[in-house]
This record gives sequence, C-alpha cells and structure tokens, in this order.
Amino acid sequence: MTPEISNQSLAFLVIFVIVPLTLSYYYQLGLSKSVIWSTIRGTLQLFAIGYLLTYLFDLPALIGIPIMVSIMIIVATFHARQKGKELPYAWPIIFVGLIAVEISVLSLWLITDMVQFRPSEVIPMSGMIIGNSMVAMGLALERMKSEFKENNGRLLAALSLGAEPKQASHLIVQRTLNAALIPNIDQLKTIGLVKLPGMMTGLILGGVEPVMAIKYQLVISLSIFSSVSLSAMFVTLAMYRFFFNKNKQLLETEEEIRSRS
Amino acid sequence: MFRFENVSQEPLKDLTFTIEKNEKVILFGPSGAGKSTLLYLFNRLHDPETGRIEYKGKSIREHSVTNLRKNVGLVLQAPNLFPGTVLDNLKYGPSLFDEWDESQAKTLLEYVQLPTSYLDRDVNQLSGGEKQRVSLARTLANSPEVLLLDEPTSALDYRTAEEIEEVLEQLIDEQQLTMVMVTHDMNQAKRLGDRGLFIMDGNLQEDGRIPEMLENPKTKLLADFLHD
Repeated sequence: MTPEISNQSLAFLVIFVIVPLTLSYYYQLGLSKSVIWSTIRGTLQLFAIGYLLTYLFDLPALIGIPIMVSIMIIVATFHARQKGKELPYAWPIIFVGLIAVEISVLSLWLITDMVQFRPSEVIPMSGMIIGNSMVAMGLALERMKSEFKENNGRLLAALSLGAEPKQASHLIVQRTLNAALIPNIDQLKTIGLVKLPGMMTGLILGGVEPVMAIKYQLVISLSIFSSVSLSAMFVTLAMYRFFFNKNKQLLETEEEIRSRS
Repeated sequence: MFRFENVSQEPLKDLTFTIEKNEKVILFGPSGAGKSTLLYLFNRLHDPETGRIEYKGKSIREHSVTNLRKNVGLVLQAPNLFPGTVLDNLKYGPSLFDEWDESQAKTLLEYVQLPTSYLDRDVNQLSGGEKQRVSLARTLANSPEVLLLDEPTSALDYRTAEEIEEVLEQLIDEQQLTMVMVTHDMNQAKRLGDRGLFIMDGNLQEDGRIPEMLENPKTKLLADFLHD
C-alpha cells in the first residue's frame, strides 16, 4: 500500500504555520514576515522539485542523473562558498571537492551493487551526499578560519621555530577535522535510538519493510560519514596554504589573505 | 651579526643599526613604538616594506627562511605552548630538522631550572612562570645563535620574573648567545643588557651603552621617557 496525503489534509498544514505566527505576534519577535515567506517559498520549492524529479525520473539515466547531480553540485558550491568568501579560490576548490566526493561515493555504490543506476535511486542518494558534504565543507572553512585566528600565537611560535606552513598548520587541520567528524560519530552512535533517520522514516511510511529500510539507511549513513570526512579533509588541506605567503609568513588579516593570490 | 639599513615597516620608519656577535641588546621605548615588530623582522615572521636586513653579511632573503628562523630563535611574549607534554614542546623545533636527540631533554630543563620529572607533564598543568620557562627551553632546543626575547617576563609576578631573569643571565653567558630583548623594565634592562636601542615614534632615537645611557641620557626624549 502506498500511503497518500490528500490535498485537503495538506491544506490543514496551515495550522502548523499559525503556531509560530501567533508566537511571533504575541511576543513581538518581528518574524511574521519571515515565517510566511519561508513557508511559501519552502512549499513552492518542494513542489517544483517534486515535479522536476517526476520528470527527471522518466528520463534515461544517462541524461537525468548528470543533469540533476550537476545542478545539486553547482547550488551546493555557491552555498558553501559563502563561508569562505575571503579565501582565494574557495569556489573552484569546493566545486572540485564536491565532484570528487560524489564520483567516488557513487562509483563505490554502483560497483558494489548497493544502488542501481536509476534516477530514482541515484538522485535522492546523491542529494544526501552532496548536501552533507556541502555543510561539512562550509563548517570546515568556518572552523579553520576561527582556529587560525585563535591559534595565531601558536602558529607564530611554530613558524619561528622553523616549521613549514604545513607543519605549523598541523594542529589547525587536526582540530578542524576533529570538529567535522565528531557530530557524525555521535550521530552514528545513537542512530535509531533517539530518532529514526529521515530516510528510513520515509521508506517505512512508504510501505518498505523496516529491515529493508535499515539497509538503505546504513548505506546512506556510512556513505555520508565517509563523504563528510573526505570533504572536510579536502577543503582543509587545500585551503590552509592560503593563510601563508610564499615567504612562509602567516597572513593575519582578511585583506592580506584576499590579496594573496 | 645583524645589519638593518633604512628599514621601515609600520610603525617603524627608518632604522639603521648593526648588532655585533655576543651583544646583549635591549630594545625599549613606549608601547606601540614597533619593538615587537622589529623582533619579528629579525626572525622573518614579517618582511620590511623597504630597506635591507643582513644576517652574517648576507641579506636575510638569501638565507633559507626555516634555517634562519632556527638560528635566530624567538621567544614570544606569551608562551604559546603546543598542546601536549613538556617533552612534545621541547622536541618540536629539533624534530623539524631531524635533529632531536632524547638526551637533550634533560639538559634543556636544566637550563631553565625545571626538574626532569616535568618532561611528561601536560602543559595545561604548568604555572605561568613554568610555561614561560618551557617556551624558552623550546626555543633553546634549536641551539640558536641569536636569542630574541619579546618581554619574556611581562606577564609574570615580580618573583617569577626575577627567577626567569636569572635563568636568562646564566644562559646567555654560558651559551655565548647574541641577545635582543624587548623590555619595559629598566632594572631588567640594566641587569641583562649591555647596549640599549631606544625607539620612539618609529625611529631609533638613541643608541648607547647600558647602564650609561639610562643614567645620562643624551636626548631629551629619552630623559623624558625614563622620567615617566
């Protein structure tokens, strides 16, 4: 049985919007406009994607998959780039990184027969990989910037002792990767106990047997784990060098970093 | 050892002076005069906007950056120790050049008068004075020829500062180091230095022997500074 929510039922979702709206009005949060706008925008976006996906799923895999995956990577690149605007070459590095992560994960899925090369499987699964990688890259960039600022003295100390920028940044890279991995480690530890992951919930609601749903969830959770690690490592290792000039001196202001290239 | 020729780097304007081997130079002047900036130039953590700096008769740009930094050791104002143990910090510099020898550890701690039992101690457990000693030992581990000190005792209480000073005095004599130290403490300057460079408004205002220049300043600027 495929469950379906009727359009009339859907209309009652308005009630769920009235709650935050009332709160905003009552406590004068000034968020009413944002609440309405984000709800409308979110709804339209989802329907548009719904129709687009229906269309793409009907296309031959070799056309539908590249189109949608490219769109996802481009949007994700521009989104993640926001966190590293002041760094030179931020967007090409993120772009290449996302492509590399997507290709490696996808190839593994296909080679091991975990996922079939069908738009209806590859597109949603890739979306999760690219989305999580995008967040991981953005967080890694932000974290790296703040670690560089926070550890300014230690970096100077390391350089002053004769360390190469790579050696001096070791601590920063370590901490950035640590910060990127810990939420995923924690999530994996409690997966299924605290909350059922979204994908699994969706499959179960869609009528798939729980054990089957878990298999898919495992594939996606572990793939996300590895792609998030890869993403964070990729941007960190590609970007740390922009905090130094060719004379192995630490650049301390945003202007210096921006004008480095 | 060092020669500065018309060097400028915000806020320093136009500095020319030479430092000979084994000199113990005190850099002093009001806050913001550019004293720390000057130390960073010696160690090439910064490069001057204009002018030329020579080390051992050769422009510092012609030396390998990492070797220069190893030979011209800098002790920063804050200890800035690396996370880990005291030993991790001591071996950091020499390990970069594959020169670490375990037997060094004991000697280094002796230099800064810390017991050997401290080697395995986590740096978070150290007091302010102990951290500064480790920071000094970490720089000495590289066997530098020149020791640059950026107000090494400014964050410490009077007694701890005096202890560090004693350590420094002994070290510099024993190791035949050339020293350039920034300090605000004129008594410390008298105890540790033999030459003073007084920097104010970005310029070298007076260059003389210590303690003579502190007792009989030639310029009104220095007299006023010492009076304040």
